[in-house]
Amino acid sequence: MKIFRQLAIILSINFAGELLSKGLSLPLPGSIVGMLILLVLLLTGVVKEVHIAETANFFLEKMPFFFIPAGVSVMVAYQFIDGHLAAVIGTIVLSTLFVIVVSALVSQVIIKKKNND
Amino acid sequence: MIEALSNNHLFGILLTVGLFYGGMALRNHFRKNWINPLLISVFVIVLLLKLAQIPYEQYMQGAGIIHDFLGPVTVVLALPLYRQRRLLVKYKLAIISGIVSGVLASLVSVLLLGRVFGLNNMLERSLLPHSITTPIGIAVSNDISGMEGITVVSIILTGLIGASVAGVFFRLLRITHPVARGLALGTSAHAIGTSKAIELGETEGAVSSLSIGVAAITTVVLVAVMQMAGWY
Repeated sequence: MKIFRQLAIILSINFAGELLSKGLSLPLPGSIVGMLILLVLLLTGVVKEVHIAETANFFLEKMPFFFIPAGVSVMVAYQFIDGHLAAVIGTIVLSTLFVIVVSALVSQVIIKKKNND
Repeated sequence: MIEALSNNHLFGILLTVGLFYGGMALRNHFRKNWINPLLISVFVIVLLLKLAQIPYEQYMQGAGIIHDFLGPVTVVLALPLYRQRRLLVKYKLAIISGIVSGVLASLVSVLLLGRVFGLNNMLERSLLPHSITTPIGIAVSNDISGMEGITVVSIILTGLIGASVAGVFFRLLRITHPVARGLALGTSAHAIGTSKAIELGETEGAVSSLSIGVAAITTVVLVAVMQMAGWY
């Protein structure tokens, strides 16, 4: 019973997000509008953590399972990578290192500066 | 003969469930975090479909139902964000600046490296959300007409790379503060980075888990701005 009630709440929020995104032609995907709606509902106390906990935790813990079909679509996309594999991997590796360096340095500098003030 | 098996809704569902279970069993048996059940499942399914010459569309007859659950999976990402809200308030300036600069670094570097390496427009769009959590990365990729398969694989690779090299950079750059360490891991390497951050400490893990959501929302907003500016 509880699982279905929780799933119904999550799906309704997802559906509302999709409708809002399409209806208002928002530049954000419907699932992300749904995530923001749930965040607001949690912060305002309209939805409490217990209302969605078990079902949400299942989705959060087993999340990678739901990415498999999207991942398999790489088989119809591979022709676009063919010949560019080194460039694709090079871009991913260098960009990742750059993100680590920038985000770590910026946040640490600000924290230390604040502590010295 | 193969057609009779594969041209059936249950084929894609069973294949996906069975391989993910197998991948999880492998990981639990060897107790190694780098064993990635998602990557193993994707690799084996692609190999099987190619070898048996089964079209992707036949696999998706059933697997499409699993794919449809990406919506609710994305919605519940609000929960970890809500759970760590106090940490966000406490370090708001450092966290927001660190994540926004990290996301900008990711977007700008993909565009620049794409030009340098001569990547075509479609690959560039697919790689743009490579640093963020997979369900939102897929949504962004589809939104800007990237190919979601390339995006998913690039996101997993990013997570594995980020989680394994972050420690070296923390030593080189003398990143000692737990908030900065957690933030860099979550912003660059999403959930895979967060499992590394949890090993480093409680604060690192909490900040990393918070950073996944904030970095994803920041990316969505910046990409929307890029679209409105007519760049995409």
